[in-house]
Amino acid sequence: MHRWWDKYGWQTTLTILALFVAWLLKQTQATAIAETYYFLVSPFQSQRQLQLENKLTNARILQLEQRLNELEQQNKQFQELLGYAAQQELSITAPIIGRSAGIWWNQITLGKGRNDGVEKGFIVSGIGGVIGRIIQVTPHTSRVLLISDPNSRVGAVVTRTRHPGFIQGQNSQAVVMRFFTQVADVRVGDTITTSSLSYLYPAGLPIGKVKSVNVDKGPAPEAEIELNVPLALLEWVVIKPFTPKVEVK
Amino acid sequence: MLEINFRQMPLRWLRILNIAIVFGSVGLCSMLLFLRLPGMELIGTNPNWLLIWVVVWSIKRNVWQGAIAGTSLGLIYDALTNPQPSHVLSLVLVGILTASLRKQRYAQEDFITVALIVFVMVIVTETIMALQFSILFANSLENIRQHYQHRILASAIISSIWAPVVHYPLNSWWENLRKIEKLKTRLK
Repeated sequence: MHRWWDKYGWQTTLTILALFVAWLLKQTQATAIAETYYFLVSPFQSQRQLQLENKLTNARILQLEQRLNELEQQNKQFQELLGYAAQQELSITAPIIGRSAGIWWNQITLGKGRNDGVEKGFIVSGIGGVIGRIIQVTPHTSRVLLISDPNSRVGAVVTRTRHPGFIQGQNSQAVVMRFFTQVADVRVGDTITTSSLSYLYPAGLPIGKVKSVNVDKGPAPEAEIELNVPLALLEWVVIKPFTPKVEVK
Repeated sequence: MLEINFRQMPLRWLRILNIAIVFGSVGLCSMLLFLRLPGMELIGTNPNWLLIWVVVWSIKRNVWQGAIAGTSLGLIYDALTNPQPSHVLSLVLVGILTASLRKQRYAQEDFITVALIVFVMVIVTETIMALQFSILFANSLENIRQHYQHRILASAIISSIWAPVVHYPLNSWWENLRKIEKLKTRLK
């Protein structure tokens, strides 16, 4: 026994240690790695953050923001008139600090986490529309499953005709929308939003525009949707609180 | 100069340093997966750093060591992406294949051979992943082939280009360590 230990003890201990650490990382969904990564990149991030914030407050956005303010004010007055109790919504602005690992996933890592109030299931959007939802949170980072991921399915609706369907990611800027009904009145250029049937997303968020329609596809027609938000160029996102209607794994 | 310093260190310390280097390099590789720097990206794919690490590790080790490294890094990869389908199977196979490749006389452990092994291994792993995907989600293989054909090739190219970055420092460290270990055990 003693001789065996002399010969293989060191190796065995290391093997067990390596497997244990790997298992631990798996169980914690690599929280340690994500956190270390955050602290390593955050000094570089802060510089970019300032530049980006400058970029974000350009004239066009200011104009749109003012219009939005105006509309929100009006909306508020109408809601008051109707006796509608609006809940105060907070939104968290977060930088993208990491892209997806490997070719099979379309995920991004954000530089805001539990400490900033981010929780699993929250909705992430860029300028132009929804881009995904939070699937994992660590104290300083959070991971987003993009709607362009093939594993992501979002209930969607054609705004003009209210035809329901769901969109599935294709690992690119374009996603596929599959309809539930046989004959769907869809045209190129129609806008697509999340539907009220969606469990994981709130209804009415803009997603994209119809690029092409494939009527021959069985059992139901398919449409190619061009996402509003340029996912590859995105550097900054907004997180909105949302409680999914189903338990998220 | 550095080597002489290492030679004077007791073997125990060297081994502890080795563990730190092993764990540290794996940690670094996992963090590099998130990073997209210019030159590190080819049609939206970045190098498969964990696979490169497994290849570099297994190239001069036995099959078991390769398999264990594959399991550990596969688990880490799962933690960084989605656990389904698992990366463990493909990375274990990479470890085993690379370790058994050594016995044949093809691999002379220069940059080009390592790059070549990485290239082949990326194609092997991604093919396994594609098969796992098609079984899990009942997607047609044709559908998957269309989407991933060019990305698999891009991943293989970019991984093999960046492989020496992991291979050179780790390999020279382990080479030195082996030399020193041999020297010390002979002195005993």
